[in-house]
Amino acid sequence: MERKLSEMKYEEEGVIKRIDPSLRQQITGMGIREGKEIKMMTKQPIKGPVVVTVDRSNTSIGLGLADKIVVEVAK
Amino acid sequence: MGQANVGKSVFFNRLAGARVAESNYPGTTVDYAKGRMLFEGRYVELIDVPGTFSLQPKDRAEEVAVKMLEEEKEALVICVIDASKVERGLYLTLEIIERGYPVIVALNMWDVAKGGNIKIEAKKLEQILGVPVVATVAIRGEGFKELVSRMGEAKPVDIEKVIENVKGSKAGTHR
Repeated sequence: MERKLSEMKYEEEGVIKRIDPSLRQQITGMGIREGKEIKMMTKQPIKGPVVVTVDRSNTSIGLGLADKIVVEVAK
Repeated sequence: MGQANVGKSVFFNRLAGARVAESNYPGTTVDYAKGRMLFEGRYVELIDVPGTFSLQPKDRAEEVAVKMLEEEKEALVICVIDASKVERGLYLTLEIIERGYPVIVALNMWDVAKGGNIKIEAKKLEQILGVPVVATVAIRGEGFKELVSRMGEAKPVDIEKVIENVKGSKAGTHR
């Protein structure tokens, strides 16, 4: 099932499906790209950033960015 | 150059014998520091820059790093990569290679990668990139002799060549 990264729940895993081209440049350097496995680690309250694991390392992503990343969530 | 928290300042201090602030937090270095090191019998200038994810700066510290690189057209760039997060680090390295700088890659925190059971074929990476790749553990000074002795091998590489090499080596260095 496809879902926005910003709407993923704690400990959910999936594969990155689409990244809005406008933020691709900004985010590839962080190791986030299409086809990568991703796991939701923490969601900070009050529209705070999400923390995800990609390639065994944690990265925090602003909610605004996370809104523009689509993940195929594994059931 | 390298991403945040990969050990650039530890490198700087080791190589220049200087003491800029180091800490185990990303973003410790927000401005650049200059020092000198002995290289092939003469003193050369060494610059420590803030960490940056890419050459498209997203904050002030990243701007300093990118500006520094752009001002120092003759620079030889030591790309410090966290060996336990190779892919991330290679992105920046490739960008720097693309801009035509002679590069030497240091796979730092080699011990951490090993402890995490991450195997990196440094030799193969070296063949693909066409620049020297050295495994280091900066806080203990491991790999520095090799690093300094091989800095002279750093040379600009045509990015198209790298792309060819990647296509040529079907078995990648990571999954």
